[in-house]
Amino acid sequence: MANVLKPEGYLFVDHRASPGMSPDVARNMGLDPKLVGEGTVFEAATQRCCHCPSVFIKNPLRTRERGHCYKCNGYICDACEIASKSPDYVHRHVNEVIDKVSSGRYAMSGSTSLPILTRTPSNG
Amino acid sequence: MAKRIFASGNVTFTASAAGSQATGGGYMTVVGSAATQITDILEVMISGKATASTVAAMYLNRASTLGTGGAVALAGQNSDGAMNPATAALASPVVVAVDYTTNEAIPSSTVTDGRLQLGLNLFGGIIRWNAAPTQQMTIISASAPGGSVILWNSSSGGGSSGLADAHIIYESF
Repeated sequence: MANVLKPEGYLFVDHRASPGMSPDVARNMGLDPKLVGEGTVFEAATQRCCHCPSVFIKNPLRTRERGHCYKCNGYICDACEIASKSPDYVHRHVNEVIDKVSSGRYAMSGSTSLPILTRTPSNG
Repeated sequence: MAKRIFASGNVTFTASAAGSQATGGGYMTVVGSAATQITDILEVMISGKATASTVAAMYLNRASTLGTGGAVALAGQNSDGAMNPATAALASPVVVAVDYTTNEAIPSSTVTDGRLQLGLNLFGGIIRWNAAPTQQMTIISASAPGGSVILWNSSSGGGSSGLADAHIIYESF
């Protein structure tokens, strides 16, 4: 059975030789000021969302529930978590979207979290 | 199917608002060139070169509208090349650009488009993001919303314009 903890990417933010970010700006960007201030090194894991071809930074201090898809058995980003609550949401793994678009039979529109796949006329 | 590096040098990443055109010469974008093309974004690195404290709200973002009029050819310290010199040329090369002729790319402000936050202080700050296998950001097709990524500085996110070097490693299929 696939592990929900897929291989993780690596984010490295080095402010050892820099004044870093002021607390107000760091908070505005959704970062903990203590992690990106003067003289700090911030390292974090990143993961790809199961539903959209995007990457998110895992917040090690997060206490809210992280979006999880039981069909894919993987984490999903907050944007896809919100989108998945929509009554007209169609569940698709990101690889399904990639396969359909790369086949040339479908064109993608909408947003990456709410993709609209339309059959292309030339390929029926 | 070979890894390539799109590098920029001495680029002033000009802060611009989400949902508005980015400033020509002040961003980096990778755009698919065929409807069936898949491109993986594997690594992003930014080395700040500002001479005073400059916080840049850098994002690796989708573009809601692609640049028009054709990409301006890379010049100066900007480059795009294969990591292995024996790499064969792609039939449909991915478009990499820091500037477009007519209209610039517009970073998406849609809340359901994923974006990677790469904010740093460009006065001595360094940031590097490296994707694990299967965990990369992916470009699908050659049109919005999934057909491109843009590395840009967001004034909406509190960023200020500043000088930096950067690279994006990608692989097309």
